[in-house]
Amino acid sequence: MCTSTVCNTKKQNLFNPPRRPHPPHLIPSSTSKPLRLGPGLRHLPPSDIIPTVAGQLITNPQKNSMWVEYNNNRYLPTPGDLILAQITRSGPDLYYCSLSPHTPLATLPHLSFESATKKTRPQLSPGSLVYARVVLANKHMDPEIECVSSSTGKSDGLGELKGGMVFDVSLQFARRLLMSKSREEGKVEVLELLGEEGLAFEIAVGRNGRVWVGGEDLKAVVVVGRALRGADEGGLGVEGQRKLVRGLVRGMK
Amino acid sequence: MPREAEPSLNERQFVLQALQDSIRLDGRELDQYRPLELTFGDQYGVADVTLGKTRVLAKASAELTVPYADRPLDGIFNIATELSPMTSPAFEVNRPTETEVLISRLLEKTVRRSGALDTESLCLVAGQKCWSIRVDVHVLSHDGNLIDAACFAVVAALRHFRKPDTSMEGGVLTVYTPAEREPVPLSWLHSPFCVTWSFFGEEGDIALLDATWMEEQVRSGSCTISLNKHGEICQIAKLGGVPVEAVSLLQCTNVALIKAKDMSSKLDKWLAEDAKRRDKGGLLAELSAENDRVPDI
Repeated sequence: MCTSTVCNTKKQNLFNPPRRPHPPHLIPSSTSKPLRLGPGLRHLPPSDIIPTVAGQLITNPQKNSMWVEYNNNRYLPTPGDLILAQITRSGPDLYYCSLSPHTPLATLPHLSFESATKKTRPQLSPGSLVYARVVLANKHMDPEIECVSSSTGKSDGLGELKGGMVFDVSLQFARRLLMSKSREEGKVEVLELLGEEGLAFEIAVGRNGRVWVGGEDLKAVVVVGRALRGADEGGLGVEGQRKLVRGLVRGMK
Repeated sequence: MPREAEPSLNERQFVLQALQDSIRLDGRELDQYRPLELTFGDQYGVADVTLGKTRVLAKASAELTVPYADRPLDGIFNIATELSPMTSPAFEVNRPTETEVLISRLLEKTVRRSGALDTESLCLVAGQKCWSIRVDVHVLSHDGNLIDAACFAVVAALRHFRKPDTSMEGGVLTVYTPAEREPVPLSWLHSPFCVTWSFFGEEGDIALLDATWMEEQVRSGSCTISLNKHGEICQIAKLGGVPVEAVSLLQCTNVALIKAKDMSSKLDKWLAEDAKRRDKGGLLAELSAENDRVPDI
C-alpha cells in the first residue's frame, strides 16, 4: 500500500507499455482512502507509479486501487488466496505442500484443520489434495497455508478433497472463475451453462491455476474439465462458451 | 536433480477409473491419435511436428568426413536427441535422463538399424570420403508420446532433406553449391513409423494409443512397435512394465499397421505439398541432375 499524488479520476482501462510512468489522469484519487497498488505496479518515490509488466490497467475508484491485469505463468502466493495444494510429505508437525510444480513448497501445520487436535488431526498421505487459504507469503519465507479460518475456527469448505479430478487452467482464467460476478465481470459462463444442461458436479477453483472437479458421474467430470480447458485455451467469449458447452454435452449423450 | 511433479492420488485414481469405462480426459477413443501436424522449415531437412501439445523439431544436416576404418564403403548416419530444460525443469543439459536415452535408442533402432537410409550411397570415395548425415531431434514441448512424434519428425526431416550434389571426374571429387546444381535427396528405402501402446491396470488389459503425459505417468506398461506401411515390423520394444498377452499384442500390431499407413499417407501428402510450394514455375525438374530411379517408398 502506498499513497501518491492525486488528480482528477475516471475509471479507465488501457494497455500501457512497461517502464514508463503512468499519466496522472489515470490514477484514481480519493482523499479519504490511501491509494492501493496491486500486482504489476511499482511506486517510485516521490510520485511516480510505473508498471512492471505489460497488460491491461484496471482502476477501481471505490476502493481507490489500481493494478495491471495480465496472464502470468507462475503462481506467486498472496495472503488470502484460495489455492489447491498437493501434499508432498509430512514433517513432525506440518505438511509440505506443492502449490505449483516449480515453486518452493508451502507449509500446512497439522493443527490448522477444523477441530483438529494432536490426536484427531487428519492423516493425509503424500499425493492427497487440499483446498486451502494462503496465510503467509513473502519473499524470504516459504508460504504458509491453512484449512481453517483462524478467527471462526470453521473450515468454510476448506480441507481435503476426495475423489474427483484436477484440471490445469491459466492463472487469469482461475482468477476470472473466482470473481464474485464471474458472469458479468469475468465473462465466464461455462459453469452456469453446464449446470443448466443438468450436469451434477462440485468444483473448487484454486488461484494457482488448478481446478478440482468432483462428481459421481465420471463423464460429467470429464466434460466439465474439457469445457473449462476449452474456454481457457481458446480464449472464448460468452457466445463461444455457449457453443462449446452445447457441443460437449451433446457429444456426451 | 529436480524431479518431475507427480500427479496427485485423486488424479491417478480418476484417470484409471475413467479408462475402465473407456473414457479419456480429452474425449478421444482409445485408439485415436491427437491431431498430427507437420510444418517444414525454409531450409531443406527441417521438420516441426506437433501431436496435440507435444512438439518435436528435427533437423537433418550433412557434412563430408572420412568413413570409419572398419566400414570403408559406408557413409555415417547419426541421430542425436536432446531434451532441454525448456521442455521441463526435470531435464538438464549434458545429463541425459532415462527418457532421453530410450528415445535415442528407439529412434536408432527404428530408422538406422532397419536400413531406412541406404548408407552405402553416402560413400563418395571408398575409405576416404563419405557423407555424414546427422539428425538433431529437439523436444520443444512434452505432453506425452514423444517417441511417435520424434520418429515421425526424423523420417519427415530425412525425406525432406537434400544433400549437395557431387561428381567424380578423373579422381577429382567436386561438391556443387545449391546455386550450381540442385541438391539431391537421400537414397531412402522405406519409411518406418513408431506406434506406442500404453497398458493400464494390473493385468495390462486396457490398451490405448498416443497417451498424454498424464496417462503416461499412471500407465503400468508400454510397448513401441515400429513398422512401415507394408507391415514390415522393424522392432518391438517392451521395456519392463506389466506382462501382456501375446494375442492382445498381435491385435496391437494390426492396429499399429493401420496407424502407420495413415501416417505414411499424411507424410506423402505434406511432402508433395511442400515440393509444390518450392517448385515455383516448374523449374525444379529441369534443374535436377538426379536419376529417375526412385523406389516405391
